[in-house]
Amino acid sequence: MPKKARRNEAANISPGPHFLKPGKYYLQGSEACIEGALMAGCRVYAGYPITPAVETMEYASRRFPQVGGRFIQMEDEIASACALIGSSWGGAKALTATSGPGFSLMQEAISIAVMSETPMVIVDIQRAGPGQGYITASQQDVMQARWGHHGDGPIIALAPASVQEMFDLTIEAFTLSEQWRTPVLVMTEETVAHMREPLVIPPWNEVEVRERKKPQDLGIPPGDYLPWGHNTVAPMANWGEGYNVNFVALVHLEDGNITRYSPQANYHCVERLQKKIEGNADGITRIEAKFLENCKHLIICYGAVSRTAMEAAIEACEEGLEVGYLRLITLWPFPEEKLRRIVGTVDTIFVPEMNLGMMRHPITEALRDQCRKVVSIPSLGILHSPEYILSKVREETS
Amino acid sequence: MLKYLKEEGPLGPRLPLIFCPGCGSGQVLNYTLYAVDRIIEEDNVRKENFLFISGIGCSGRITSHYMNFDSAWTIHGRALAIATGALLANPAFKIIVFTGDGDNASIGGNHFIHACRRNIDVTILCLNNGLYGMTGGQHAPTTPLGMITTTTPYENREAAFDLCKLAEIAGATYVARWTTAHPRQVIKSIMKGVRKRGTAFIEILSQCPVHEKASPVAILKRFKRDTIPIRRAEGPAEGKTLIGEFCDLDRKEWNESYQEIIDQFLAGSG
Repeated sequence: MPKKARRNEAANISPGPHFLKPGKYYLQGSEACIEGALMAGCRVYAGYPITPAVETMEYASRRFPQVGGRFIQMEDEIASACALIGSSWGGAKALTATSGPGFSLMQEAISIAVMSETPMVIVDIQRAGPGQGYITASQQDVMQARWGHHGDGPIIALAPASVQEMFDLTIEAFTLSEQWRTPVLVMTEETVAHMREPLVIPPWNEVEVRERKKPQDLGIPPGDYLPWGHNTVAPMANWGEGYNVNFVALVHLEDGNITRYSPQANYHCVERLQKKIEGNADGITRIEAKFLENCKHLIICYGAVSRTAMEAAIEACEEGLEVGYLRLITLWPFPEEKLRRIVGTVDTIFVPEMNLGMMRHPITEALRDQCRKVVSIPSLGILHSPEYILSKVREETS
Repeated sequence: MLKYLKEEGPLGPRLPLIFCPGCGSGQVLNYTLYAVDRIIEEDNVRKENFLFISGIGCSGRITSHYMNFDSAWTIHGRALAIATGALLANPAFKIIVFTGDGDNASIGGNHFIHACRRNIDVTILCLNNGLYGMTGGQHAPTTPLGMITTTTPYENREAAFDLCKLAEIAGATYVARWTTAHPRQVIKSIMKGVRKRGTAFIEILSQCPVHEKASPVAILKRFKRDTIPIRRAEGPAEGKTLIGEFCDLDRKEWNESYQEIIDQFLAGSG
């Protein structure tokens, strides 16, 4: 959690009687996600039904009005993502959850949110594709998360691996989105969203949440306000607060000017967005690593697959194979520098993924001179078993 | 009224208008500011509560370029979805959406009918020029049968939407149609629409002299000649377009209704 985050208490968010009391619960990943969002101060949910994201939506429809929030079922995913943009400009923290086909429909709005620097959170409960594919789990949207929206915009994407992380990382997603004024994606799978396991809900006043920085907070009067200026992350004036703010997603100058277009202005505008996220990747990204000391080989994984990959790594170590384990908690921005620092030099890197090999590409690029070989372990329609991963490790290392 | 215009400032000098000579957008801008000014004065509404949202197209330019209010220039067709989101964040907003016939009835058609069905508190001003102006005069879902456009070079064979009928049947609570040649009526309708708690749809037939290849005066004269007020029309108005107020009723607005659900829980918490 970022150091400067303010506590819920300071942010004056009352817990109310309808928040879950601190303690241990047995919840589904989808439900944990919604509880995390409410804890983060999210009060708007706009969505459209799609398997396997309906549980998230149904639970949201019950919970949001209970805490004074608003839930709406929009006419499609395009409208859902657009409603998040409108809510965010209106000053609210907003959430939606969807899956593959719906995620595709949201890409235009995501791009608009990136360009207009709009905080909002989208959860993609990935299902198998392409096309209608199937409603079983996959990790096939991880590249769409980064490159699916048009233009050169950066993105932040997190990958929870447990019910607890569905709660924690949803809160973190809101924190990051408000901190960096950008849409944040929670890239989970049907596996984690439908899984039930224990969830610890902390006392509400111990949860760190972040509110967006407004020009009022910095003492900037409306006349001096630059909607895309002042700092690396511009303070954000909400609608209705007297700043006459005009949100646009065209190439703009710091003062919001959209008519003095020049190639230089275009470059500056898009490069600034890129630098804001990619240039701060070290602070934004998180990695979990185990058994790295003196490891000869390494398994790099993320999301649900990390649960069986961890088992495989433990068993491999017991067999004396010296296999390390590394989990990407943040997928995008890709933690290239962090990965290079942590990993050192290894022989073979195994990348088990529920797709035909997607994140192996940035991994290969990042560690091109720090390993001999990168081996992709794909699986479609089913989570890898520890035995399957282990058999591939044995195959390569024997 | 000039105080509501972005004459200067970050967007630079905006007058004379950026629209093509003779375009109806400037007239609608004038009518809207007049109506908004009267509402701010008469109803004691804060200027900060007004919100102008537009999609893409010639009509979309009115908000970002001229409205010295909170505003947004958004995605083609999606202004109403974004307005819906804004009302979820703050039901006190008084939202006016500027849209065109292509923006509202084609790419944004789904959002349009659902905004009406939900009866969200928004006033939709749809400038209908019967074609896509900004992209160079392609046919729209409102183009009359038989018209030649850049994408119907052998004449348009598709029937046109009656947007007011569509809005009414979808559930809008105030529906009216005028033309740019009816300034007083448009102003009155905008005021009624903004005061209505619910979806108000006001279609304004607007001239595009460039793509229609006709003089603005000739088109305005045609607007006068070829329209007939609904209260004077008896039976089907042969070849004439009906103008006037098509419906003005009261039905619970979306947020008003949803607040009842929230209040149950607030009441429960004592």
